[in-house]
Amino acid sequence: MTSPSIETSAAIDTSPSITDTRGRPATRAGWFRLAAERIAVVAAAIAVWELAARTVIDPFWISSPSLVGVRLWQLAVSGDLLWHAQATVWQALLGSALGLVCGVAIGALLARYSRVAAAVDPILMGLYSLPRIALAPLFIIWFGIGLLSKVMMVFSFVVFIFLLNTMQGLRAVDPDLVDLMRSMRATPAFIARRVQLPSILPWLVTAARISVGLALIGSVLGELLGANRGLGWYVEHASGRLDTTGVFAGLVALMVIAVALNTLVDLAERWLVPARP
Amino acid sequence: MDQSVRSDETGAATGSAAGRRGPAARPRVVLEGVGKEFPSSGGHGLTVLDDIDLVIEDREFLSIVGPSGCGKSTLLRLISGLMPPSRGRVLVDGAVVTGPPPDVGFMFQRDTLMPWATVAQNIGLGLELNGTPKGAHEARIAELLDLLGLAKFRDFLPAALSGGMRQRVALGRLLAYAPALYLMDEPFGALDAMTKMAMGRELLRIWSRYDKSVVFVTHDIEEAVGLSDRVVVMAAHPGRIVSEYVIDLPRPRDFRAVRLLPEFRALCETIWRDIGVE
Ligand SMILES: Nc1ncnc2c1ncn2[C@@H]1O[C@H](COP(=O)(O)OP(=O)(O)OP(=O)(O)O)[C@@H](O)[C@H]1O
Ligand SMILES: [Mg+2]
Repeated sequence: MTSPSIETSAAIDTSPSITDTRGRPATRAGWFRLAAERIAVVAAAIAVWELAARTVIDPFWISSPSLVGVRLWQLAVSGDLLWHAQATVWQALLGSALGLVCGVAIGALLARYSRVAAAVDPILMGLYSLPRIALAPLFIIWFGIGLLSKVMMVFSFVVFIFLLNTMQGLRAVDPDLVDLMRSMRATPAFIARRVQLPSILPWLVTAARISVGLALIGSVLGELLGANRGLGWYVEHASGRLDTTGVFAGLVALMVIAVALNTLVDLAERWLVPARP
Repeated sequence: MDQSVRSDETGAATGSAAGRRGPAARPRVVLEGVGKEFPSSGGHGLTVLDDIDLVIEDREFLSIVGPSGCGKSTLLRLISGLMPPSRGRVLVDGAVVTGPPPDVGFMFQRDTLMPWATVAQNIGLGLELNGTPKGAHEARIAELLDLLGLAKFRDFLPAALSGGMRQRVALGRLLAYAPALYLMDEPFGALDAMTKMAMGRELLRIWSRYDKSVVFVTHDIEEAVGLSDRVVVMAAHPGRIVSEYVIDLPRPRDFRAVRLLPEFRALCETIWRDIGVE
């Protein structure tokens, strides 16, 4: 009943930065107002949750913000929170880095050789659509139960995002701009650096934003199937013991991490892509 | 030796077009029986240019006028080596063009600026690509910004400029590149009358001061006559050269004052009449 309201609040909270990155508040006052509105939405969701847990629904089913808060505090003090979060984030970052490098490289090759791209398109789309959860057992057979299988799980989500965005971005490069540089005898390397790279940066930022969520899903998915550490493991472990508070504590930690990583992407965007008025 | 002839005349820059051109000067551009076809949906190609013969002399200011779609932009693309001709050959400075030749600058019909780069960076591109030492960039960019009336907009991105301002930035980039042969595709199309006058004067000044050749595409017959040594008129379907006019108005010319000369009016009238507009 109330957990949907958490999701709703998260969606409202982050949607301005997903759908409309250019709609940044222009003034300081605007920033404060937006921050206040976001905090108000989160606070309202928490209040509804708490109220429901105290009145209509037994906290056994939905826990409650105060219980979750206490649990997170305990986990933080004991160092367990950091221990689990570190594993999940590290796997997500490693897998994303690998996905970025491979995705951009393959995407650039496919954009360059369009016949190859056309030939491999069905298989690419097929692989992209595979349910990773079905692959997970195989990943454990192939890559073991350690770090590698989780990194590869994240990679399997993220690589396609970067690949497809790189390809699209390179196809959208203004051909006249390339011709203009060619007419001044710029080398292909110069053109790649000065036209192609800046043209695809916004696409890569978009890919990074989509990847934040997927990388965490991949990381947690890898943990669900075999691990002794990580927020995914913690959630799985808690739900095995019908510890609703533990499940929600893990999920809240994941949400906070997702929002934090998304903020990092926003900062990177501001730095890499100059605002176009 | 060619070099010394040029530098002697650089300072003078006053003679008439004929006098300025040494008899030994090699043509800058030669088009021999050039044709261009584009594949079309019908199967057989669409002939955009048919059997073009044209010689552009060293230090000549040549204008090309003609109706929309007659292949003017395509012709410039062939000279710039951005696309190969279907028939015939193109020579620039005596060498057959197979790719973009050195010392040729092209200003596209559409102002093609890097949208993520500032006005100064866009102009600076011309300096980067012609090998101007890094230390000299700052001063040259400032000079060009002043010339183009863009000094206040130095750090603006193209999206924040008007169409005419973007066209001036593109012109600035070409002037920064400072090629020996300028290919200009309707460079003044988006400018207001006043700016057009200032830019026209500047172009004439640069052209007569330094040993430049210009191929200037325009719809505007008065503009073509005012600037050029020679005006080539093209027709469409297929794109071809139908007539050619030597403009023997005195040099140096003032882009505005020249319009008051009776010879100027007479030339424009002749061209208008020949292309069928009374
Ligand atoms: N890359 C291309 N592929 C196919 N057809 C083309 C291509 N470029 C030009 N054309 C065709 O060639 C013809 C001449 O085009 P071009 O751009 O050279 O005309 P133009 O004289 O510059 O016209 P305008 O004055 O309108 O700029 C047009 O019919 C156009 O459709
Ligand atoms: Mg054109």
